[in-house]
Amino acid sequence: MSIEDVTKVRKELQRGFASKKTHSIAWRKAQILALVYLVKDNIDRFDTALALDLGRSPLETHIMELGPVLNDLRVLYDGVANWAKTESAPFSMAWFLMKPQIRKEPKGVVLVISPFNYPLILSLSPVAGALAAGCTVALKPSEQTPHVSALLAELMPKYVDADVVRVVNGAVPETTKLLEYQWDHILYTGSGRVARIVLTAAAKTLSPVTTEANTFAILGGKCPAIFDTKCDLRTFVRRILWAKFVNSGQTCIAPDYAIVPKSLELAVIEEIRSVLHEFYPDGAERSSSFSKVISSHSATRLHTLLQKTGGEIICGGKVDVEARFVEPTIVRGVKGDDSLMSEYLFGPILPIVTVDDIDEAIEFVKARDHPLALYIFSTDKEVQQKIIRSTQSGAVFVNDLILHFVAHGVPFGGIGPSGSGQYKGKYTFDTFTHLRTVLVSPSWLDIILSGRYPPYSASKARKMDMVTMPSFPSRRTTGMAKERQDETGRENNHRTGGKEGGCINAPVSKVSDDGHTVSGSGCSD
Amino acid sequence: MAVPDYVPTPVDDIPTIRAELGAAFRAGTTKPIANRREQLLALAYLLKDNIDRFKEALASDLGRPALETDVLEVGGTLHEIKDAYDSVARWARPQRAPFALNYAAMRPTIRKEPKGVVLIIVPFNYPLLLTLEPLAGAIAAGCAAVVKPSELTPAFSALLADLVPQYLDPALYRVVNGAVPETTKLLEQPWDHILFTGSARVARIVLAAAARTLSPVTTELGGKSPVIVDASCDLRTTARRLVWGKTANAGQTCVAPDYVLVPRAFQDKLVQACIDVLKEFYPDGAAESDSYSRIVSPGHHARLSALLEKSGGTTAYGGGKRAEDKFIEPTIVTGVGLDDSLMSEELFGPVLPIIAVEDINEAIQIVNARDHPLALYVFTQDSRVKKQVLDGTQSGGAVVNDCLLQVTADGLPFGGIGPSGSGSHTGKYSFDMFTHTRSTLDNPSWLDLVMGGRFPPFTDKSTRMMRALLVPSLPARKSKSAANRWGSYWVMLSLACAAAAYGAKLIAERKQ
Repeated sequence: MSIEDVTKVRKELQRGFASKKTHSIAWRKAQILALVYLVKDNIDRFDTALALDLGRSPLETHIMELGPVLNDLRVLYDGVANWAKTESAPFSMAWFLMKPQIRKEPKGVVLVISPFNYPLILSLSPVAGALAAGCTVALKPSEQTPHVSALLAELMPKYVDADVVRVVNGAVPETTKLLEYQWDHILYTGSGRVARIVLTAAAKTLSPVTTEANTFAILGGKCPAIFDTKCDLRTFVRRILWAKFVNSGQTCIAPDYAIVPKSLELAVIEEIRSVLHEFYPDGAERSSSFSKVISSHSATRLHTLLQKTGGEIICGGKVDVEARFVEPTIVRGVKGDDSLMSEYLFGPILPIVTVDDIDEAIEFVKARDHPLALYIFSTDKEVQQKIIRSTQSGAVFVNDLILHFVAHGVPFGGIGPSGSGQYKGKYTFDTFTHLRTVLVSPSWLDIILSGRYPPYSASKARKMDMVTMPSFPSRRTTGMAKERQDETGRENNHRTGGKEGGCINAPVSKVSDDGHTVSGSGCSD
Repeated sequence: MAVPDYVPTPVDDIPTIRAELGAAFRAGTTKPIANRREQLLALAYLLKDNIDRFKEALASDLGRPALETDVLEVGGTLHEIKDAYDSVARWARPQRAPFALNYAAMRPTIRKEPKGVVLIIVPFNYPLLLTLEPLAGAIAAGCAAVVKPSELTPAFSALLADLVPQYLDPALYRVVNGAVPETTKLLEQPWDHILFTGSARVARIVLAAAARTLSPVTTELGGKSPVIVDASCDLRTTARRLVWGKTANAGQTCVAPDYVLVPRAFQDKLVQACIDVLKEFYPDGAAESDSYSRIVSPGHHARLSALLEKSGGTTAYGGGKRAEDKFIEPTIVTGVGLDDSLMSEELFGPVLPIIAVEDINEAIQIVNARDHPLALYVFTQDSRVKKQVLDGTQSGGAVVNDCLLQVTADGLPFGGIGPSGSGSHTGKYSFDMFTHTRSTLDNPSWLDLVMGGRFPPFTDKSTRMMRALLVPSLPARKSKSAANRWGSYWVMLSLACAAAAYGAKLIAERKQ
């Protein structure tokens, strides 16, 4: 696509949005359904394109992309009518007469920039969410997956209204041109390095951005998987190796490295050897169940990291740059300053870091940037909670990996350098929706509110104070100790999956600072 | 009590402050809800105990009458703190994902976790509300925070720097004072969230700096918020509310009505009503009134004076200015063209340009031809006009038949769209802004009996199994939603029949 075309696309999408056709919920649903059939009718062509671009087995495509994307579209299709309804604000004595409402309005014309690793779901899921919100969308798929990107460009106008979704193909010049425009929202998925460029460009046009960044740079974004001594070893090793080697490790939420207690290390390694043999009985190179890495550049990068490591390669290690093949590789004895810990791996290499205990594991994780996902393998609830509470991450998955991306009803998003904002299902709808506050103030309310008008006087001030000033509990909250106790109780309750204990019980009555007894607690639900 | 001196924070201290707050946050003291409530209560008393000192400081910074501070800031701010205090336990409770058969066994939960150490950059116009409200949100969310108040309100900023360590935990909450060098240094640090309220020009600088550290930013900017007055409006109330919205804080409000679009035939009536209201508000003239504020700085005073001088419109009321005490009279200008100086930028002062239009459609077109505003006001008693305007435009928020109130209204988000800002805050929305929603799942081992098909080596059988599990049933290509709905009605109806039959059988058995 030429640079001039980018300008034209942008103009046509603006016209499409101005036409207001996206305001109709029935129309939005029809477009989402069209996207569904765009996928369903062309499964074989997508399989072929992904095999060419990523050397990926169709079976893996079905598990990792096809099912999840159709599920997400289904959730959007079913949910949009409800989500788009205007909401009334919760009842408030001071405001209900003004009928406070929140209208769910489309932000406008949005841009989706998707990466190479899961081109189907990471393109179509956000596009469908934007359509559900009533936006018009420019989609910029990755130039590193030419076959999939060309297929998307070919199919999109056949299925979806060309006034509202357009595919822009190209590399740096086209993306630069796209970013010169003011977008009502940009959803960017990719590396931290490019995220900085996107954000800087968006700063000039004041375009809001959601980033799902897996940082390639030294900063990190490396998702850790912590093993506890109490664990179902066979199951967990199968799961971690699956998650590591699916799509040849090129998954933004793939486990990047494993942290294993010293006492468990030998057992883990033995299990890994056996599971690898089970997964790839004739070796990964000949297996149709194992993908290639995206480019020879990527293979070279991984090869260099392997050459520099101070750890011991116990499985794999073979790299064929020409064929873009990197063998599933396990490296033990990796230290915090190893080459394999210096950047996001994004390839089929699993370094194992050994620690004395869980505390050391937690310290190891905390010393690095917040990851997009944190994985815990433990059957001990206390250990699980301890790790969850003392770390930060985009998401936590206990005893399994990756699937939280496709799980229904939870948001997908990072924290800190692993990204900001979130999407998936309703959360994608929210990302592209503006919450527009509406109040309607009847004239007679000035009987109460006329104290706001000049000329001001002391009596007007008293009148306004009566309307606006809330009362507070007294400065010394005697119930503080009890509150703490209740809270611990509630946390425990939650941990065991029991019924939650309602709100915190502050003292039943307190004397407020101006001497009045305030009944009730701080609880307002 | 005397107002303390304004002292900029030494630039070299700023990285240390950031590091100290980071360490304090990691220590976990903000996690217990009781601690957050304790700090919120302290924040409330920080304001309650010192209302008079704050009024004095704002009188010195903005020439603002004490009573205006009461009406515009104190009540709303305390209300927001109280809301956070009352609701934080409920807001912070982990949330279960809606039930889904495929994932229910993994118990998907959304934990509400504090983002970390946040930065709040505050403008000069409503320093009290725009400092303490987001700070309450940060405390409720369990974040540590640095507040950077404006250097244009030195008395307020100095007072805040003096009071915060006396009331709040100094390990977690700090004030940094200063201007460009201090802010630049602040923005070199990574933050877990930045809330910036101010101008679009500075927002671009903040966003570009934040891009380097990948810090997420919420921006509250402004823009020219239009007022559309329809001939069906309640004229006297409209004039009072409109003039109040424009003259409060001398028009230096991010959601102040910026300009008025009114049908030509109704223009004179509206202008006359506004003039009447101005005479009633300031019987001896605004210059002598103790109910009228001043412009914040000589720079802004000069800017407004220049805009007024360059305008091609006719001054229907006011027009007086005085540089010594930064006074600008409430001014109404009629016959303003769309390319007039008064339409070239956000006014942020007590000047009200009136633009005559043919009808509501033309008014909507004018609004849509410009950047999306932070607020849009429409005065009408005709519900069709209300709907036409609301459906036909985009804006951060919208108020029908009033001004300004949307900012502190309970339960509503306050935020812009496009160039008027992104993200929203106040109340629960402030809590959400500083909260990370952390998805957690726990997958039991036995589930691999069902999901084992995901593991290599892949076979045709395992693919079929996984597809059956993962690919949902989908509506037919031509949406037959009516038929589907009838289908589910039939299911419910037959279930109801079965239940009734079973009930009848039980009753019959009991009778025997």
